[in-house]
Amino acid sequence: MKARAAIAFALRESRGARGRLMFFAACLALGVAAIVGVAALIGAIGDGIRSRSRELLGADVSIQARRELPAELDERIAALATSGPARRTDSRELTTMARNPRSGESELVELTGVGAGYPLYGAVQLDPPGVLDDLGDERAAVGPELLHELGIALGERFQLGDAEFTASAVVLDEPGRLGAAFQAGPRVFTSLAGLDRTGLLGFGSRVRYRALVQVPLAMSPAAVDAWAARLEKELPGAEYLNVETASEAQPTIRRSLQRIERYLALAALLSLVLGGVGVAQIVRAWVATRTQAVAVMRALGFRPREVLFLFATHVALLAAVASLAGAVAGTFLPFLLPALAPELLPRGIELAWEPWSIVRGTLLGVAIALAFAIPPLTAVWRVAPARVLRAEVEPLPAPRLVTWGAFAFVALGVLASAWVQAGSFLLALAFTGGVAVAAGLLALGAFGLTRLADLLPRAKLPVWLVHGTSALARPGAGTRGAVVALGLGVLVVAATALIEQQLSYRLRTALPADAPTVFLLDVQPDQWAGVEAVLQRHGADNVRAVPVVTARLTSIDDVDVGRLAATRGDGQLDRPRWVLTREQRLTWMRELPPDNQLVEGALWSDPATAEVSLEQDFAADLGARIGSVLRFDVQGVPVELTVTSIRTVEWESFSINFFLVAEPGALDAAPHALLGAARIDAEAEQPFQNELARTFANVTPIRVRTVLEKVMDVLGKLAVGVRMLGGFTIVVGLLILAGVASAGAVHRAREVALLKALGVRRITIAGLFATEFGLMGLVSGLVGGVAAAVLAWVFLDRIAEAGGPFAWWAPVVAALATAILAAACGLLASARALSARPIETLRG
Amino acid sequence: MTSAPAVRCVRLTKRLPSGAEMLTILDGVDLEILTGESVAILGPSGSGKSTLLGLMAGLDRPSDGEVWIAGARIDRMSEDELSLLRRRQIGFVFQSFQLLANLTALENVLLPLELTGVRGARARATELLREVGLGDRTHHYPAQLSGGEQQRVALARAFAPEPSILFADEPTGNLDGATGASILGLLASLRETRGTTLILVTHDGEVARAAQRRVHLRGGRVERVEATA
Repeated sequence: MKARAAIAFALRESRGARGRLMFFAACLALGVAAIVGVAALIGAIGDGIRSRSRELLGADVSIQARRELPAELDERIAALATSGPARRTDSRELTTMARNPRSGESELVELTGVGAGYPLYGAVQLDPPGVLDDLGDERAAVGPELLHELGIALGERFQLGDAEFTASAVVLDEPGRLGAAFQAGPRVFTSLAGLDRTGLLGFGSRVRYRALVQVPLAMSPAAVDAWAARLEKELPGAEYLNVETASEAQPTIRRSLQRIERYLALAALLSLVLGGVGVAQIVRAWVATRTQAVAVMRALGFRPREVLFLFATHVALLAAVASLAGAVAGTFLPFLLPALAPELLPRGIELAWEPWSIVRGTLLGVAIALAFAIPPLTAVWRVAPARVLRAEVEPLPAPRLVTWGAFAFVALGVLASAWVQAGSFLLALAFTGGVAVAAGLLALGAFGLTRLADLLPRAKLPVWLVHGTSALARPGAGTRGAVVALGLGVLVVAATALIEQQLSYRLRTALPADAPTVFLLDVQPDQWAGVEAVLQRHGADNVRAVPVVTARLTSIDDVDVGRLAATRGDGQLDRPRWVLTREQRLTWMRELPPDNQLVEGALWSDPATAEVSLEQDFAADLGARIGSVLRFDVQGVPVELTVTSIRTVEWESFSINFFLVAEPGALDAAPHALLGAARIDAEAEQPFQNELARTFANVTPIRVRTVLEKVMDVLGKLAVGVRMLGGFTIVVGLLILAGVASAGAVHRAREVALLKALGVRRITIAGLFATEFGLMGLVSGLVGGVAAAVLAWVFLDRIAEAGGPFAWWAPVVAALATAILAAACGLLASARALSARPIETLRG
Repeated sequence: MTSAPAVRCVRLTKRLPSGAEMLTILDGVDLEILTGESVAILGPSGSGKSTLLGLMAGLDRPSDGEVWIAGARIDRMSEDELSLLRRRQIGFVFQSFQLLANLTALENVLLPLELTGVRGARARATELLREVGLGDRTHHYPAQLSGGEQQRVALARAFAPEPSILFADEPTGNLDGATGASILGLLASLRETRGTTLILVTHDGEVARAAQRRVHLRGGRVERVEATA
């Protein structure tokens, strides 16, 4: 048969079926809109990052390290300059305290000292307008929050370390910062000379050194990357450098973007899959009304697969139109985001149209519609052509291949869509399996509901309950599809809400009663007595201080760290590269604190060697075992330590703990700072911080409560996105429920008319309908809620390791809320049936 | 050598379950219908007329016995093979017309032509509708046509793919006398100009008189066969 004939047929099939078409279109369009919305948003951000990668990096190449950058870097840049001018500018970044010298108010800030010409591309936007080069030695550009926190105005002075600065401009926008990302505090920019005045660059401070390089214009991106790759190999201490090029376009942001996209894309796909369930329902009802037409077509010589092809063409055409509409609507979603949640967008990114995501979304919509339409369409195999002669013909048996093939088709369709969406086969498999299990449970729940409705002792119940429940058991009531769809929606929304709420609760309350609430970084040994006195004045208890030695790991068992690092990627979850190249922090102690547990070896057991004890997971990531020899570079002095014990740490205690604990004496000669910890009441924290900023400006206090608030803030922002997509799934579920209600409208109207004729009051009939839909909602909510509670518990207890009780109450709340929602929705959808008049029974 | 008969039935038997028992509808019918012949199958209701027609046309499957069409045994064919056979060789006219309600008259006639993908399908369908006297009603839907008009559309649809055998199941059963007569006249003239074999089921002796042979069924068996002199 020709395609044109099939399309002509498909178009003719659409006649006089407006209700079916609208419902069909709504089911698909919503899901596609969610998918395209997510794809368009992430795509637009990704494109923006790529197209403006130089401005975002501020350079062609950026080199960053925890220590002074090697002097050889200048020679390398000079060598570049043979083909044209090359430039370098530097920045140094650290977290420290800013202070209002008059009021004494203090605030933790992210301070960056910048060299001339910073950044080399793009600009930090200032108000009043200006450039960072104009800051001179005594002026600073500050984030607007800092003015607020310190209670100063532009033009007034504030203190950083030992020096005072005039807040001369507000930082409006800084390219390359993700708004939703974690930030320790407001931004402050000074010149490099200004930063030197603060005296904060002394020993023990945690400074990030960064060089920005602009290469000659004539250099190709490939040549730039090759040059950068050589730096990463050949410079002294190269393995500890973090080299980024503009052509890599913010690998860190894009990696996290990718991770976020996977999950959001799958959450969006779930709405579409539910739309698919709706499509299956509609197609089943539609094919049932077309049985006679199918019989005629079969008598005319159509083979079953040709009938299927015609009907499937109809579905595909409709799906294409509906999906396209949804896709176009979806592309507008990203443009709403700056208004709804501006903090989710990286600064300096403009949104753009993503035509490709429209195409992809439309194709996904058609694919899912077809996948879910095929199983009900296989009913055409069962239509006997002899039906044209007499109605009561036995249906034909469908070939087994067709029945099983149809199920396989749905599974493969969902799997393929998930693969496209998540870009990972394993994740797609998990998604498909998860949906299948949840749908199976929900279908089982629906089946149980219909059986229960059948078994109910009718005689003893009020009329509305009898009819409401028996309506559920009626053949072809579509109960199962509605329950599955609605339940899956409940599952998504309830699971994300539970995880977010429990995580937030855990983070807020998890602080054990004696856990420190403030950590003090970079305390110099001779400052400790003074710092301790400040702590005492503010009522601190559980005051502790441990020595901290910063060092670079240089080799494990004589294998150079550079060689080990070369085999690992930074993004990989298992044995990441940064574990080797990070600035390692070691302490020493005689006995382990109670929240440490030895699992292997013995502590300080070999008098002949200098020993170190490793945390279990860290040891695994390093690839070190008992007996491994770790060599460190401690401020230029080589130190060799042998692993003699492995221990676990109960990190939830929030106490001071280290991956690396050395034997007392092994590091005695090494220069060290102290890490302090103490417990202070919440109200005393700010006054304490203010006094500390005045007396020990180089010490950085980290307030646990504030950090947790900020973490929760970031989590909350991400959860909004997931919850919005979950909302889509609920709407689709309710839509399907409404579809069930309106599909039975004719039947219902007759029933209502009959009941009214028999003298049943309208309110009782409404109660009967509400019972029917409410029961469906109850089952959906209950099963969805139980699944959500299990999922949340598994995630929290097993994956996030946050522990927490099983949310027994969640299924109850979900069941009741869904029941009410479903009852309301079902009543609305059957409003017309409810108004049927008794006289209509006579008309038949 | 003579060509194979259009239809041949050998000991054709059909049993259907009725409650716990099996009911025999057709009981060992032997019948041979020649190419180009017109045969009426007569009998009271329940005598197995429609069942016999369904079996001969490959719409239904016998419990026992054989059905041959143009020298090919069809009772063991797969559903797909039967579909292809009907598409190429068989046309139908039904008592209840069996037009597709969402298609216009023209589209109904086009349907079997689109299936085979013949060239000039539209012109042929329009011409046929003109031939049955509906040249000005091609874009009407079945609901907008009278019973007689609907059956004319059905006739046009049946003849459109030029089948070699036409099966008609009580084609005038739902029509009044005059309309029925005009439909029969139309059927006869369409058949004669094309040389189509006609197998017609009816309980109406008047209708059957037009056929060259009349097969009388009773209780699922051939009671007698009479030929027009």
